[in-house]
Amino acid sequence: MSVTAKSLAAEGLVAGYGGQPVLRGVSFTARAGEILTVVGPNGSGKSTLIKTVLGLIRPIEGRILLDARDITPLSPSQRANAGIGYVPQEANVFPNMTVLENLRLGLDFLQRKGGKAFEARLSEVLDLFPEIRAKLSARAGLLSGGQRQMVAMASALMPEPSVLALDEPSAGLSPRNAELLFEIVARIARSGVTLFLIEQNTRLGLGASDAGLVLVSGEVKLSGKASDILAAPEIRRLYLGGA
Amino acid sequence: MMAQLIVNGLTTGLILALPALALALSFSVLRFANYAIGSYVTVGAFATWWANMYLGLPFWAAAMVGSCAVAAIAVIIDLLVYSRMRERSGLTLLVASMGVAIALENVVRLLAGNSPRSFDVPVARPYRFWDIRVNQEQLIILVTVLGALTLVWLVFRFTRLGRAMRAVADNAPLAAVRGIARGRVIAAVWAISGALAALAGVLIGLDTSIEPQMGWNYLLPIFTAAILGGIASPMAAVAGALVLGLAEEFSTLFLPPHYRMIVAFGIMAALLMLRPWGLFGTKWVQR
Repeated sequence: MSVTAKSLAAEGLVAGYGGQPVLRGVSFTARAGEILTVVGPNGSGKSTLIKTVLGLIRPIEGRILLDARDITPLSPSQRANAGIGYVPQEANVFPNMTVLENLRLGLDFLQRKGGKAFEARLSEVLDLFPEIRAKLSARAGLLSGGQRQMVAMASALMPEPSVLALDEPSAGLSPRNAELLFEIVARIARSGVTLFLIEQNTRLGLGASDAGLVLVSGEVKLSGKASDILAAPEIRRLYLGGA
Repeated sequence: MMAQLIVNGLTTGLILALPALALALSFSVLRFANYAIGSYVTVGAFATWWANMYLGLPFWAAAMVGSCAVAAIAVIIDLLVYSRMRERSGLTLLVASMGVAIALENVVRLLAGNSPRSFDVPVARPYRFWDIRVNQEQLIILVTVLGALTLVWLVFRFTRLGRAMRAVADNAPLAAVRGIARGRVIAAVWAISGALAALAGVLIGLDTSIEPQMGWNYLLPIFTAAILGGIASPMAAVAGALVLGLAEEFSTLFLPPHYRMIVAFGIMAALLMLRPWGLFGTKWVQR
């Protein structure tokens, strides 16, 4: 695959709803080709953070950078065209359309310059997700949860994004499927895509990542190498049931 | 006798197929039942009659003018009325569409009066195939409806616009994330829906006559046909229309013809209770 990963960074993000900030000065950097996972308790601002990155919420302060480019003023579709792909947590496929149609819709309406033709890109994406190759003519809504998640990720990868944002990708999956999913996430990163994940499963999410960010009450509690965060005593006590 | 009933039933069904498809199409994308569909039928018939009688256009050209006019009117009505309540419930939009229907019907009455009218087309002798009598209007209806349905099916299946329409119908928020402009899709849906309804009005006028209440008279069969097929599955609504047309025609074997409407009522009531996603529609998957 020839996708060129880009870094994704936020500087001093203050964002929320109705002028009330939920995020209070959040900064992070996901380097090109890296997997960065954001963890934190419910209500910590994880969803607000991913919505702000995607342009669904305008920040009150701060900026978002894709490589060196400030993408803060861009709309969600302009950010998609700039190279940010997104897989929502729920309703992430077109359930009454076939898998092939879902994949085609991933590419059809984005205007990325220099992109490959559909057939060529389809072949590359199916190499990443061989599990769905035999399901191309099946209705997406009739697939299992794990297969649907793969179709959603494959669709988001069709326009060759530089950054792929995943909102709680393991939610609702069996432990086996969740492990399989993070193997795929690693495969995607190796193909040259930067991964930005919001995840409830702290152990699995950080275990598969290069970098991590712990959000608590809208502030960065901890950030750095994912392995260091996993080893931090406070994180072990709060999230992993350790002593 | 049986063959004649089948021909007549299919003709009725074919006429109903166009507005039933139009209704199902707008329902699938906007999630509300457009009560004004009957008035689009009426306006289409009168716009065509006006182009035929006053502009002196040949019937087929007048029909195109009528269809384009109602396509444009449907888009304008969406901009003026429905777009302002896009996030409201389907019930609110249904009530709004009742207002639109009343307004359109009265504009037609104001401009064209209440008398029944006919298109300026030559009278032709019916054809006979064995014992079956088929008049020229029925052949025009057959060719026009099949042509229109084929065109819509091709757009639906094989074009970017068709995929965009199906995607918005299936999962509107995800469609937005994938770069599909919902506003343009909605405008296209209204244009197609308006043109199909207008074409139905033209065919009804060709088969019988046109008058300001014609759309109202067809409202119940249109809704029944759409629900019978599956109101969220546009092409299945076509099958629903054909079944309803045949059922109405066969009911004349044991009911006086003016009680045909009871058949539509009965089918609609039974479906809403037993199989609200229709006979041919697939149960909508939401997960």
